[in-house]
Amino acid sequence: MYTVIIQQALNALQLGAIYALIALGYSMVYGIIRLINFAHGDIFMVGAYIGLGVALFLKPPFLVLVLVTMGLTALLGVTIERVAYRRLRHAQRMSAVITALGVGIFLENFVRAAISANPQAYPVLIAPRTLSLSGVSTTNVQLMVIGVSIALMLVLRYIIRQTMLGKAMRAVSDNKEVVPLMGINLNLIVSATFALGSALAAAGGIFYGQAYPMIDPYMGIVIGWKAFISAVMGGIGQVDGAMLGGFILGTVEVIGATFRSTLRDGIAFAILILVLLIKPTGLLGRPVTKKV
Amino acid sequence: MKLLEFLDVEVAYGAIVALQGVSFQVEEGEIVTLLGANGAGKSTTLRTISGLLPLRRGEVRLGGVDLRKLPAHEIVARGIAHVPEGRGIFANLTVQENLELATWTRKDKAQVAADFRYVYELFPRLGERRRQLGGTLSGGEQQMLAVARALMTRGRVMLLDEPSMGLSPLLVKEIFRTIGEINARGTTILLVEQNAHMALKIAHRGYVLETGRVVLAGTAAELAADPRVKEAYLGG
Ligand SMILES: Nc1ncnc2c1ncn2[C@@H]1O[C@H](COP(=O)(O)OP(=O)(O)OP(=O)(O)O)[C@@H](O)[C@H]1O
Ligand SMILES: [Mg+2]
Repeated sequence: MYTVIIQQALNALQLGAIYALIALGYSMVYGIIRLINFAHGDIFMVGAYIGLGVALFLKPPFLVLVLVTMGLTALLGVTIERVAYRRLRHAQRMSAVITALGVGIFLENFVRAAISANPQAYPVLIAPRTLSLSGVSTTNVQLMVIGVSIALMLVLRYIIRQTMLGKAMRAVSDNKEVVPLMGINLNLIVSATFALGSALAAAGGIFYGQAYPMIDPYMGIVIGWKAFISAVMGGIGQVDGAMLGGFILGTVEVIGATFRSTLRDGIAFAILILVLLIKPTGLLGRPVTKKV
Repeated sequence: MKLLEFLDVEVAYGAIVALQGVSFQVEEGEIVTLLGANGAGKSTTLRTISGLLPLRRGEVRLGGVDLRKLPAHEIVARGIAHVPEGRGIFANLTVQENLELATWTRKDKAQVAADFRYVYELFPRLGERRRQLGGTLSGGEQQMLAVARALMTRGRVMLLDEPSMGLSPLLVKEIFRTIGEINARGTTILLVEQNAHMALKIAHRGYVLETGRVVLAGTAAELAADPRVKEAYLGG
């Protein structure tokens, strides 16, 4: 019995880690410019395709592939902000949200036209091996996905808490108007935030491709929604909240699927509604306070 | 020497013209105060100097350098330190982190370390609370932090927007004493105040703004003695 539990826990961690990696991008961008970047799920999808392209053309070692793909996808995120969102920063909230939806649709159709609407098998980046430890069976891929995801999240956490960039990001989240008075280029901080969020989503895309080995141009929609739910559930704008939300959602879905797999997607929304009823700002969200 | 020049400046928020050709100047080493009622355009003036608002007409110069085309964050590096209205503390950053961010453009590591020691000496209360979040400070402590943060940018001119707002008389005295001290150490000061009484006590010169125009200018003593200032800003 307990071997089943450990095995399912590993499955939950793997799925949760991917949700968490994507949720971080939603949360960070919302945290600094109060924009729900609805194109973020599609950035995750493009990241998976970029990873596929890098794998086919460069065939680098796995970690190099992850880093190169993260870098390229970061550039995509920065470009999207620069071209589509920046001039709307002072426009009505709704204009930016609609633009984000439009960017998402553009990315889906661009990939569809440039590559194919059909699902692609993801190249095998790590030769899969089944590992068996006292009755618990897992794969090296699963352990790698969990391990690298957690490592990336720890790096992000360090950046946000300890580095000047992270402090500036938190300052933008607190009081955007005052940030330039510190001599800080606000646009630079916004760009860096999009870069970090997109890079993590790309890592999520590669891991998704490795673990569930098909990708398609529309995969970012449902997974993006679930990552968004994770971010809201954890408290949008909170980095730790996004991670917590991702892992909770992963766990709930894995548990749900063992009972009835068709309920999987409904469960995510049910949990979200339940959490928000109890704590409207999300699990780790700060209560909304008026500035004095 | 003229350090800061504000020449015939017009600034508008959409259709509302907030500054209608305002001119004044600040000499190196001076404390100059801008007085005026609510909505006179005092904060607008400071925000324009800092590059947060575009000019429709006129010029802003610091040490002869045209500030108009520079983005706000570069103006800080040129030597403008702005303590904004309402303090603008980063509530979820610690006192220390608030101060660190103000050194963003500085490369003089040793001098930065010395400046940290200096501001914690100037405001021992901040030193005691350096790991506390900005948002948990009292109003007076937040004002100290806002001034300390501006000091950490090492500006040549410090713009202060109503530093006494919402503070007890004792704290107001303390903040004004500190402003005098900062000035004595060589920082030029442009002080916006509603508390004309205190402002005219420490300022060398002043200007009175009324609905976006300068209506009076003079030394602090002249302004304090002017019947119009007495009537409108010093309570008769
Ligand atoms: N963001 C804004 N949008 C539109 N009008 C504005 C804005 N900010 C200020 N104004 C207007 O510009 C004028 C000058 O405002 P400003 O804030 O400079 O006044 P102030 O002298 O600082 O007043 P107070 O003492 O109340 O702070 C006012 O008429 C004000 O209503
Ligand atoms: Mg004002």
